[in-house]
Amino acid sequence: MAEKTLDCLGEACPVPLVKAQKELEKMQKGDVLIVNIDHSCAMKNIPDWAREAGHNVEIDEVGEGEWDIVIEKC
Amino acid sequence: MSENIGRIARSSGRRTQMSDAQRKRRKTVQIITGAALIAVIIVMAFVANQTNPKGAYIVVIGTLLGYALQRSRFCFTAALRDPFLTGGTNLTKAMIITFALYSFLLMAINITKFGISLDSVDFSKAAGYIRPVGFHTALGAFLFGMGAVIAGGCASGTFMRMGEGFLQQWVVVIFFIIGSMIGGVAAPIVQFKSAPVVFLPQLFGGWALAAFVQFSLLLILYIAADIWGRKKTGGR
Repeated sequence: MAEKTLDCLGEACPVPLVKAQKELEKMQKGDVLIVNIDHSCAMKNIPDWAREAGHNVEIDEVGEGEWDIVIEKC
Repeated sequence: MSENIGRIARSSGRRTQMSDAQRKRRKTVQIITGAALIAVIIVMAFVANQTNPKGAYIVVIGTLLGYALQRSRFCFTAALRDPFLTGGTNLTKAMIITFALYSFLLMAINITKFGISLDSVDFSKAAGYIRPVGFHTALGAFLFGMGAVIAGGCASGTFMRMGEGFLQQWVVVIFFIIGSMIGGVAAPIVQFKSAPVVFLPQLFGGWALAAFVQFSLLLILYIAADIWGRKKTGGR
């Protein structure tokens, strides 16, 4: 199973979401995408979208104001 | 937040390097800083009260609004963007409710101020922005929208994220202030005075009909947003 890390540190609001959407589209079922973010808005809209799309999602707080969003494609 | 970490198998391992003791110490520092900042806000409210009789209210209400904004992640940009990007319409619906509440309060304030008769309404003293409407409104909205996307937040979002420590917004706020200053100076000069001023109670010939049209439209938009959200996200 493939795993890919997407570095979105410093990217403002809709950019991480759009990047994650595009990246996940290319991936196979069961693959894992890790998105590094530090914009609080992306911390809400990426998990919301991914859960609604039916994927498994985890939010890992790496430090203050920095998160890893782990998405397993389903 | 991190209660369910580890369900998804990762080959690269977690990036987190902080130990529990480190987290705890940082949390203590945060609480002390927070308490100090609250004390600063209270002092600011007293200072503001000396120059402006409403100053203290503005400081306190502004602080509370900022808190609500940060906790709820309420975002006007997202409310209009998410229906197309993610299919989620929860923020859109929240925004429509805000509009309904705002319309109702503005109506109450303006009726209290000028009475039920429309003859005595003075646009320059009325609550809310009753301004000329025309193509320039759409142009300005487009410019604002482009700016908000590039800057990563509109006005309230920029302030909120400055407090969160997202440094990009500290750069944004400098240009935001410069832009506001240019706008403030230029607005009276370039304003389209020939464009018609649209005031719904005047357009429909009374408060009752205007209120009916306004709230009906908001209700229709709410129902449309609800249906859109259900369709796009499969009823979840």
